[in-house]
Amino acid sequence: MALIDLVTEEVIRIPMISTTKNEVMRELATLLHRAGKIEEIEPVVEALLERERKGSTGLEAGLAVPHSKTSLVDGLVLAIGIAPNGIDFEALDGELSRLFFMLLAPPDQSGPHIEALSEIARLTQSKSFCNSLVGSTSAAEVVELFTE
Amino acid sequence: MSSAKELVGAIMVYVDGTEGSIAAAQYAVLLARAVGAELIAGYIVNTRALSDLVKTRIFLQEEQEEYQRDIEIDADRYLNHVREFAESKGVAIDLCKRSGNVHQEIRKLVEERSVDLLIIGELSKIRSRRDEFFNEAERAMRGVACTVLIVKDEERVWDLFDKA
Repeated sequence: MALIDLVTEEVIRIPMISTTKNEVMRELATLLHRAGKIEEIEPVVEALLERERKGSTGLEAGLAVPHSKTSLVDGLVLAIGIAPNGIDFEALDGELSRLFFMLLAPPDQSGPHIEALSEIARLTQSKSFCNSLVGSTSAAEVVELFTE
Repeated sequence: MSSAKELVGAIMVYVDGTEGSIAAAQYAVLLARAVGAELIAGYIVNTRALSDLVKTRIFLQEEQEEYQRDIEIDADRYLNHVREFAESKGVAIDLCKRSGNVHQEIRKLVEERSVDLLIIGELSKIRSRRDEFFNEAERAMRGVACTVLIVKDEERVWDLFDKA
């Protein structure tokens, strides 16, 4: 499954209202819950935070990729959050994070999980793509950027 | 006039665990039996992607090791599944598991094994220009020196396989 198949308006939050890492996880998990992608919010948040305890997924240049392998989902699930003003996500470069790609995958789908994360890594190597995402004003605009 | 075996002496089917690739494997088994070709099934463990994820710090070292174990197990499972298909139709099959950059490893296997025909499952729909550049099966299809056959209509293939 291509990443683009997971990118729909209902799983995009722009702008985010969170101000902390925990709130980011909860805000995006809530989005997924409302979209019918997950049944419960708290266990998903806990799975993501457990991964964060091993090392932050707040990377560099405003990008964060919280992810977890969990039996709480049946297939790959993606949520995208955009915070133009930035949120402290304990990023490796100490900068605020503006672009969040949250990915959940069931334990028996390691291959697709890796492919989706690789695609995120490839896409976000483009500064202009990231800037365009952060500068988006609506979920529809974000979806359009992925289809270009 | 060329015989079928002269035209297609060795067939390789690329298996990646998708339903499309499983249908491609069934088709490859039937075709190999029909023309008397040697049959090879290839699965490439995408260790290149794993390394890239560590380099970009999306993965921790321990995640890389854990996921690599998982996908090695997946590879064995899918290849064994394809072996069962071949055995059920009385066709000999050679299973090849490789690691690395997927499209490059497919190309190498085709060359090393003197494959005449590479069979792959249906390609995912191209929804953006980037898809064309990064889809591994698509890149393999464009890069290999041999003829490529793309198997479509999975349901028809499953039906053909069951009846054969």
